[in-house]
Amino acid sequence: MESREGAAAARDCVLDFSRLSLNTLSLDGVSEDRRRDTKQFYLNYNRLSTLPASISLFYNLEFLDISNNGLTAICDDITRLTKLKTLLAKNNRLDEFSLPKDFGSLPLEVLNFSGNRFEEIPLQCTKLRRLQSLSIGGNRLKSIPTEIEDLTSLEMLYLGGNLISAIPPEVANLPYLSYLVLCDNRIQSVPPQLTRLHLLRSLSLHNNLLTYLPREILSLVHLQELSLRGNPLVVRFVKEMTYNPPSLLELAGRTVKSRNIPYSPCELPSNLVLYLDLASKCPNPKCAGVYFDSCVRHIKFVDFCGKYRLPLMHYLCSPECRSPCSSNPQSDAESEDENSVPADRLQRVLLG
Amino acid sequence: MEQTELVKPETLDELIKTLHQIFQSDRINVEEVQNLMESYESKPHEWRKYAKFDQYRYTRNLVDEGNDKFNLMILCWGEGHGSSIHDHTNSHCFMKLLQGHLKETLFQWPDGKSQGDMVTKSQRVLQENKVAYINDSIGLHRVENVSHTECAVSLHLYSPPFETCQTFDQRTGHKNTVKMTFWSKHGERTPFETTVSQENN
Repeated sequence: MESREGAAAARDCVLDFSRLSLNTLSLDGVSEDRRRDTKQFYLNYNRLSTLPASISLFYNLEFLDISNNGLTAICDDITRLTKLKTLLAKNNRLDEFSLPKDFGSLPLEVLNFSGNRFEEIPLQCTKLRRLQSLSIGGNRLKSIPTEIEDLTSLEMLYLGGNLISAIPPEVANLPYLSYLVLCDNRIQSVPPQLTRLHLLRSLSLHNNLLTYLPREILSLVHLQELSLRGNPLVVRFVKEMTYNPPSLLELAGRTVKSRNIPYSPCELPSNLVLYLDLASKCPNPKCAGVYFDSCVRHIKFVDFCGKYRLPLMHYLCSPECRSPCSSNPQSDAESEDENSVPADRLQRVLLG
Repeated sequence: MEQTELVKPETLDELIKTLHQIFQSDRINVEEVQNLMESYESKPHEWRKYAKFDQYRYTRNLVDEGNDKFNLMILCWGEGHGSSIHDHTNSHCFMKLLQGHLKETLFQWPDGKSQGDMVTKSQRVLQENKVAYINDSIGLHRVENVSHTECAVSLHLYSPPFETCQTFDQRTGHKNTVKMTFWSKHGERTPFETTVSQENN
């Protein structure tokens, strides 16, 4: 979406070498003054296979577009561009080995690596403290590193069109994230922690492998755009078919916790203390119960964010437990099937 | 003259002028409009001022109000942006690709009885300068920019103009009436028109 319209007013600041079939970068015709004054440099649509070291001669460069070349590597000298704020390198042949070791030292605010061959987000990229916008769409990413949370200035994260199968909860630690694109991946579930993204305005999840969403998504009150098409979302009432009754250990643990029976490491073996400390509270506010390993996946259909009857899931401590009342004004629809089905009957999961 | 001979419009302004002439009549010749729009070769510097993008979703930018006979607008689609499945409120809809590519998926109208996934009729990817046509009797469609690297820009003509349409949930056929708004008009951003997007996908 970056256009030349927002360019600096003075034409002298912009150097356009795009679409010149360049194999190399010859700066013979570029004066000393020009090298000093150029703030925006367009080198897109050429035939460069590496970014030449001479790029560092433009020491005041703020914007560099090297998209649509055949780049397999970016030279170390790029780190000498200490004022570089925007780097566009779409549609090249870059992968996680193409970047210099100190790439993370650049003051980048916008970075676009879409249409390359990254299988991993290189760690250097996670060190870009000022980064506001990161696009690595249309690559071969299999996962998102937990270090993503180090990009504390990030507002826009575009990872559509990859091979990502899971979203790490660390994504939720990006306080300014307002646009998150994960469409066209292989994501099977959305971590409930994403509820912490208070500024999230647009979430793109279309064409993935989601069968339901976490109920916590209802707290994203600023969410205005939510795309979910092309997911096998459950459409009918579901009861988890493989509910295993709780073990003796679990029953004992539940009793200890729900009756507030005090315990301490001097009374119990450490493994049991650890076990008891891991109890999860049942989200039903009327239920004081807890669960450990044995719980029921409960799905409720709720209208949310312009969508009709989204399957939202949360865990309950037992099939008899009732789901918490939703105080969210956006949700109003309730599955009419729920009340008519006896609790002991198990139904098949029906996929949308 | 009843039939206008097709004179290729060299500029966007010429296209608009010719459209005004054609739409003076009450009867629309779909093929004529389609051929006319297709013959204009997209020149970015002519429409760049209308092409205002939004990070979060596609935008609708009014170009010409067509003497109330039609609305001409430019839609800007960022990477991955798509529309909901929608109808066209009994109007003609012409869509021309000015830049990039758009995928159009045609759907059957959901019938009152069946619940469950809406039925897809066909799918195609429109190339630059091509024009697609649809109206309610043909069906419903969803339009998407499926590229993760390129934006798309399209020119739309609706006749008669309309402000609301119905959007459909693909999983259930459930429908919703939404009001459509403009991101800009005549090259000027019109922020107070924009409310929370009701059109989701």
